Amino acid sequence: MAEKRITVRATRFDPAKDKAPRLQSYDIPFADESMVVLDALNHIKAHVDGSLSYRWSCRMGICGSCGMMINGIPKLTCNAFLRDYWPRSITVEPLNNFPIVRDLVIDMEDFMHKLKSIKPWIIRKQEYPLGAGEHRQTMDQIDEFRQFSECINCMLCYAACPVYGLNNEFLGPAATALARRYDLDSRDQGIKERLPVLANSEGVWECSFVGECSVVCPKGVDPAKAIQQTKLDTTMRFVLPYGNREE
Amino acid sequence: MNHDGHAKNSRTAYTHLLWWFLFAQGGVIAAILVPIHVLVQGILGPLGIVRVVDRHYDTWIRIVGNPIVKLYLLVLIAVPFFHFAHRLRYLLVDLGVPAARSVPAQVIFYGGAVVITAVTIWVLLTTVPISFG
Amino acid sequence: MKALGGAEAADSTHPPPRVYKPEMPRGWWLRQRHYFLYIIREFTALPMALWLLWLLYEIQRASNGPKGYYPPSSPAFIVFSIIVLAFALYHTYTFLSLAGVIIHIKGVPSRLIVLSQFAAWLVASAVIAAVLIGFAR
Repeated sequence: MAEKRITVRATRFDPAKDKAPRLQSYDIPFADESMVVLDALNHIKAHVDGSLSYRWSCRMGICGSCGMMINGIPKLTCNAFLRDYWPRSITVEPLNNFPIVRDLVIDMEDFMHKLKSIKPWIIRKQEYPLGAGEHRQTMDQIDEFRQFSECINCMLCYAACPVYGLNNEFLGPAATALARRYDLDSRDQGIKERLPVLANSEGVWECSFVGECSVVCPKGVDPAKAIQQTKLDTTMRFVLPYGNREE
Repeated sequence: MNHDGHAKNSRTAYTHLLWWFLFAQGGVIAAILVPIHVLVQGILGPLGIVRVVDRHYDTWIRIVGNPIVKLYLLVLIAVPFFHFAHRLRYLLVDLGVPAARSVPAQVIFYGGAVVITAVTIWVLLTTVPISFG
Repeated sequence: MKALGGAEAADSTHPPPRVYKPEMPRGWWLRQRHYFLYIIREFTALPMALWLLWLLYEIQRASNGPKGYYPPSSPAFIVFSIIVLAFALYHTYTFLSLAGVIIHIKGVPSRLIVLSQFAAWLVASAVIAAVLIGFAR
């Protein structure tokens, strides 16, 4: 029986030579039912063309570095099985809405900046000394934010977001979800520091609730919900009397 | 990408907050009240399937003259226009008109909703005198 | 679609890294069903706005007196209303469903919140229909 094969088209862009990205087609063996798109890229790099550039690391949906557009949908390539596409061909492109550095590699500087701007760490007005013990939390208090803490910064939600695509100044889904993760944490007291970033004119108000960010998230985070709830909470802080008070 | 964007913009945008709040209110009003009006006054009444108040002058002015109905009509007509203004402004952005994000565009769209509100108040106060009949 | 220089400051020894900055295609919302339905959802505002403007006009015409008042019955108006009703119902369905994502009350499942919204819609519709039909002659 003839060996099973699959066609993978990958974006190639050499900033030194190319004016614009182009697609290059590779016909590779589909040897193993458990092969994912990342395995196909690794095969191309090892056996066909060593110059193909892409980011990857853990191969198990944790590191968040191998996100790419697969047939137009943002996905982690380590989590996209060839068997779900074969015998159709697969087109692998860099994540939408980001500048392309080389081949499948995008410039993530903008996201990194936005991530930092919402201060994704626990902010205390006054740190307790270590000897005072740990900050205790009940299971209910953890459930408040747990879903949002699953974010692995893979940027698939930014690639799926037309609002970000049309306006790169928009704070975007993952950064808002992570801001909410800390705002909802009973140990955190930093909501007033994050609020100006979340609720400024390029913040949550720009979101028109397309909802695709939550659809593509590989970790089940619901950034669309985080954004809408931030809009409502911010409005309530303003509308309700004493809404601006602490805690 | 302007990485100083957040520094220059680092405060709550209260106008955006207000427009979003009115957008949400108008969305609820439109969702809950509009379909039945369209069904009854726009389809069932004109087809003659049921008798509807606006089919006869007497019944129509009697109900429009009621102050509670006037207040209701103000909410029904005016508030959704803040929802429509917001959605149509962002629809233009989505369809490739970035100028719809600008302050002049905001003035035109939300100002339009304010004008519609004023016209609605004027129509409700001037067409049929308030009566408790 | 154009290629841009990445860094602003060009160093003679290290030429600025060029990045390719793709632009959103105009027809992005035609490329995926979910995006298309989103645009339809946003578009519902326009037909509903037109119909409410008609209602405002209907109220205003009451000032013409009994001789000048003709309730609309043209087929065109009925067809217009049927189209508006389809968009209005789509707005109701999407808006009330999404409100369940936004409103969060401790201990109340979001499905119950959505259900109560639709119940409120049905009750309000029944009351309005009763008034519009009940006070007719």
